Amino acid sequence: MLVEFELLQQAQRGDASAFNQVVTAYRRRILGTISRLIGRPEDVEDVAQEVFLRLYFSLDQLRTPEVFEPWLYRLTVNASYDYLRKSKRRPESRMSDLSEQQVMMADAAAGSKAQSEEGERHRVRDTVQSLLASVSEEDRILLTLKEVEGLSLKELEQIYHVNENSLKVRLFRARQRVLKNVKGVTRRRDNIASSGYGL
Amino acid sequence: MDGRTMNDQSSDYQVGGAQRNEIQNEALLNDLFRAYRNACPDPEPSVSFMPDMWAKIEAREASSTIFSRFAKTLVTAALGASVLMGLLSASYNEPAPASEGSYIQALAADHASSLEPLQVERISEMEQ
Repeated sequence: MLVEFELLQQAQRGDASAFNQVVTAYRRRILGTISRLIGRPEDVEDVAQEVFLRLYFSLDQLRTPEVFEPWLYRLTVNASYDYLRKSKRRPESRMSDLSEQQVMMADAAAGSKAQSEEGERHRVRDTVQSLLASVSEEDRILLTLKEVEGLSLKELEQIYHVNENSLKVRLFRARQRVLKNVKGVTRRRDNIASSGYGL
Repeated sequence: MDGRTMNDQSSDYQVGGAQRNEIQNEALLNDLFRAYRNACPDPEPSVSFMPDMWAKIEAREASSTIFSRFAKTLVTAALGASVLMGLLSASYNEPAPASEGSYIQALAADHASSLEPLQVERISEMEQ
């Protein structure tokens, strides 16, 4: 945990300075998670502020320090999900609809050293976000938490309040759906390579 | 026989190739997720992050205060109205019942004339 439980207790009693310290400790992590979940840099701060707003008004319900971080993640997931549901601005492109150029970008994302680092990062972001667009918002968030954020099944269990087996099933299905689109990428890459349109 | 063996071998190769593709795709997806994590580092919050957050908290508190005031006023008004109605109904004089006694007795009183005991004549009296 990034903060002491005493600090949380002070924040619970309405100490604004203690709450500021809690926010300062977690805001970068929360901003990072939200940016990877919603993929919209311009709205990341708004969603993060909504997370801390919800935390502020529900902090008095916290009883034990162990549940604080999963709880904060839960608030983050819910706020991100609400944002995605409300805005519906997520690009709906699927890998099968991507242009050859994007397919080449996807391929290049795996390891082209010739491109600049920033360009490569941009390509990776586009590719993964397009791949994740093929699954529902719930599954996209679940997959991101597991595969990108690196949360364990135990942690996900605490966040979602569902048992490990159902989580495994949902993760497996979501991953299979994304994998179908990865197959599209590799098939197109092979076609491009065989037609002499390689990198 | 040789042909069948060749067919079996080619299907084995196909299955093996499909499995290899599956493994490659799984590995590619894992690499992409890892690269995505590195390509999206935790962003730095802007200078206005904290002031904006507190402004939102205060706005939410203000709106919830207005709502709770409105709710309290509504509850007080409802309580007052129910007390008033209770007092009014208590002070209302109920009219005395039209008749005392049971329903049967009231019915009998209304139809007294038609319920007079029957005058049965004795056969002996009739014969006379």
